[in-house]
Amino acid sequence: MRPGVGSFVRVGLLLLVAVILQLSWLSQLGILGGHIDLVVLAVAAVAYYAGSVPGTATGFAAGFLLDLLSGATMGASSLVLTAVGYGVGRFRELRDPSHGLLPIAVGGLATAAWVTAFAAVSFMLDVGASVSVLVVRDMAVTILLGAAVAFPVFAVVRRLLRPVLVVDPFEVRRKRQAPREAGPLGLRGLEV
Amino acid sequence: MLDRKVIRRRRAALAVCVALSIAILTAYFGESGGGFFHAFQRGAQEAFAPIETGASRALKPIRDLFGWAGDTVDAKDQNEELRKEVARLRSQLARSQTAERDVAQLKGLVGLQKEEGFPQGTEPVTARVIARSPTVWYSKIKIDKGSSDGVKLDQPVIASSGDIEDEAGGLAGKVTSVTGGNAEVTLITDASVGVGAQVMPAGASGVVRPEVGDPRDLLLDFVEGGRRVTENTTVVTSGFKTSRGESLFPRGIPIGRVTQADLDEVEIYQRVHIRPFADLKQIDIVQVLTKKPAGAQTAGVMSP
Repeated sequence: MRPGVGSFVRVGLLLLVAVILQLSWLSQLGILGGHIDLVVLAVAAVAYYAGSVPGTATGFAAGFLLDLLSGATMGASSLVLTAVGYGVGRFRELRDPSHGLLPIAVGGLATAAWVTAFAAVSFMLDVGASVSVLVVRDMAVTILLGAAVAFPVFAVVRRLLRPVLVVDPFEVRRKRQAPREAGPLGLRGLEV
Repeated sequence: MLDRKVIRRRRAALAVCVALSIAILTAYFGESGGGFFHAFQRGAQEAFAPIETGASRALKPIRDLFGWAGDTVDAKDQNEELRKEVARLRSQLARSQTAERDVAQLKGLVGLQKEEGFPQGTEPVTARVIARSPTVWYSKIKIDKGSSDGVKLDQPVIASSGDIEDEAGGLAGKVTSVTGGNAEVTLITDASVGVGAQVMPAGASGVVRPEVGDPRDLLLDFVEGGRRVTENTTVVTSGFKTSRGESLFPRGIPIGRVTQADLDEVEIYQRVHIRPFADLKQIDIVQVLTKKPAGAQTAGVMSP
């Protein structure tokens, strides 16, 4: 991602909208005990398209904003989301992924990392009460929901970031495809 | 050369963000409720409250649509269970009406009506929920009423059961942070909350604690093994002052109904499971009890 005011404004707006939607709408929308976690998907999408450094910074900013507005312990979400942003960004840099359906897997894995790591951090910090096994079910549902909505979320984020991206994984894939040979009538198999 | 520069930049970004997160975490834990980060958090919440209120109202129809779909599925499951409960309640109603008639006749003789169930004169303020904590580890909600409406720290909050036919509700939590126009409520399902409670009519007392992750199940801990607690009895705030915490809730606020009582003879205390009256999973409207009833006892609320 090209550093500049445009990039900051786009990512900042994305995070603000994601956090407000998360707190005012999605957190209150229980689906089979779980809920859609938009913030982690937004962070994963930015890291996926822009790389590890923007992913790390976006994760930190998203976590900070989430803790600030949700009243949770400040620093906990930013610590976990920083790691998620860095992890997804490194995956993109090392593997150079370009498959069209990969956002679903990345969204699911990012959500899984987020709910698991956040549970671990919460345990280490201040949860003194007993924990129901239903937490595991809720976490599993949240991961599945994350994977289910990852595709449209990644598409929206890609559209938003496209003007400021240095490399777009989908464009890379398009360039990789070899041109198809065709005959004079435009039909394959009738080459002259 | 370029690669090394990129690697250094990447590592530096990660190190800075992680270090900042840990520093904020440490500072937040180390400071008091009036410290910089707590004050900053309150200020930000107040600044964003109008946006959250607007978003919450604008998106309510979509939320309701999802809720309707979920309720339809739940309703099928609950149908059979409710039929049995109706039959049980019918016979219970007949017994209650007989008992009520007896009580009405005895009232004049012994003056039993000195202690009403729910505390009177609490001046409840109705508020709408505008935001909710996104994880199960922090059960907090934000409401659209604040200090300008008479809401103060540590005031009890009640909510309805969410069932149209059964309008009764119960204790939902307490106010833990207040700004001019809104307040933060920590629910009784939050890991940090414990409520002094009493099982009625047996009188066994204990501390209601949450079972994190399951808002429909609370635990009544520290109930003496000798005091027999039976299922389907009602649990209310006890009004006892305990040595472990300061007093907050007035006596008699309904909390929930006993669903299971573990009678383990090895343990000194019983573990009693309670289903809360308030629907803590789908709260839209709550009431803050802004006044303590004059001369009422209060119940202990403490951190574990």
